[in-house]
Amino acid sequence: MAAPVILARALEKRFGEVRAVAGLDLTVPAGICLGLLGPNGAGKTTTLRMIMGLTLPSGGRLEVLGRPPTALSRTERRRIGLVPQDSNLDPDLSVVQNLLVYGGYFGLPAAALRRRVPELLAFMQLTEKAGARVSQLSGGMKRRLVIARALIAEPELVILDEPTTGLDPQARLLIWRQLLQLRAQGKTLLLTTHYMDEAQRLCDRIVLIDGGRILAQGSPAELIARHVHGHVVEVTKPVPPALTGNGLAHEDVGDAMLFYVAAPGAVIDRLPPEAVYLHRPANLEDVFLRLTGRKLREG
Amino acid sequence: MHGVALTAAGAVWRRQYLVWRKLIWSSLATNVCNPLLFLFAFAFGLGAVMAEQEGIAYLAFVVPGMMAYTSMFVASFETTVSAFARYSLQRTWDATLATSVTLEELLLGEALWAASKAMLSALCVLLVGGLWGGIPSWAGAVAALPILFGAALGFAAQGLLCTAFARGFDNFSYFFTFWTTPMFVFSGVFFSLDRFPESLAAAAWLLPMPHLLALVRPLTTGAGLEPLAAAGHGLVLLLYFVIPFAAATARIRRRMFD
Repeated sequence: MAAPVILARALEKRFGEVRAVAGLDLTVPAGICLGLLGPNGAGKTTTLRMIMGLTLPSGGRLEVLGRPPTALSRTERRRIGLVPQDSNLDPDLSVVQNLLVYGGYFGLPAAALRRRVPELLAFMQLTEKAGARVSQLSGGMKRRLVIARALIAEPELVILDEPTTGLDPQARLLIWRQLLQLRAQGKTLLLTTHYMDEAQRLCDRIVLIDGGRILAQGSPAELIARHVHGHVVEVTKPVPPALTGNGLAHEDVGDAMLFYVAAPGAVIDRLPPEAVYLHRPANLEDVFLRLTGRKLREG
Repeated sequence: MHGVALTAAGAVWRRQYLVWRKLIWSSLATNVCNPLLFLFAFAFGLGAVMAEQEGIAYLAFVVPGMMAYTSMFVASFETTVSAFARYSLQRTWDATLATSVTLEELLLGEALWAASKAMLSALCVLLVGGLWGGIPSWAGAVAALPILFGAALGFAAQGLLCTAFARGFDNFSYFFTFWTTPMFVFSGVFFSLDRFPESLAAAAWLLPMPHLLALVRPLTTGAGLEPLAAAGHGLVLLLYFVIPFAAATARIRRRMFD
């Protein structure tokens, strides 16, 4: 088997007393899309920054493309592209200039850039905005430009920190489509997101973290089957005591009780006729809430 | 890591140049008009009442002074207020460091750009002051330009060191009040250090500005340099680049990467 693109063992990052990442084991094989999920403060961005060599680990082992990120050579750095959480584009420069300047940072020759820039503009549907100043772009266009910028050196690993946060559904759809295309081209994608539908749609594999540690990992379908059993029946209170006492996985969410079952009949058939309930297929959001809790996080 | 590539620093320089070109009118207002206003004020206003300084006609004394002053001001401003905006508001530094550019190359690019802008201002003062008759030796003035550029790299590095510690824009008022202003008013820019009590004059030599003037003024006036003394002044200016640059890099590395 080919060497993994990212390999972390007991990876740790402390900020003073706080352990933002507390012993993370992560293996990202080439060519997959891996989603790193977790509530705010779980350690996602810190992990991505360490992988980019922008934050130094406090302990453990981390290899990207076979080497510690800070030991990567100038040309090896071209193999990694980052889409950061905050769009740090140059607001005063045009769309094309942003791409050219970034290509310059990677040391790409002018001839390569002349070919690459129009390709990227077309890929992210920005061709018409080529000459526009970044400050004139909509949020969705800025985001697309940040993604185009990350692809300038044709990286094989693309790291995306919340690529669609704050975008409207149309803009998200376009970005999803292009990310799926990147994956089809054989690129390795590592992304964080707060949108579970996004993770479910894009990711081959999910790693759920909280408090800097891994809570669960697997494909979206595996996680749903393992932790929320495929179906959710939400029963408005009062709930017959017989239901909660017979070993069905359930969770109290205030005015209702959630049951996680493989077959919905296990709950529905035992409800009295006047009971109010809602049945739906379980999704990744159920896994996420079940494992990380429903309490509001700071930040 | 992998040494410092001038091409990478050049890519950073080019980014600054492109942004500068977009904002050219406001840039020229600060970097060209500002030093010229000072020059006119000193040459007309003070020149009327000032005697010769150090045996030099006042205009010939103040033009190299203003060239040095504007190099300092422009380079320091660029690596403090402007660089801090790129670092903390626009997050340009984060974006740059996610590429093949290393921190040393980024900061070197910043310093080279700041020094380039400083040169543009110094050249404007040189042209206007020279046409006015304040440059007895044009050959000397040309020879002074690389020295001004090197000193501006130092001023840029000193600014970066302040930026490395700054928590907000307010912090730069300390830098401008206690670092650049003394180099404007106590360092022989628009009148001779001889006018100060000896102890104050001696203290002024701890700053880089008197050393820069000791090199530039004899060149533009045509008096010529004494090699050994010139080497000494050059060494001070070099140290005023190397030490702040290394300290700024170390501090910013801790701040951004730890």
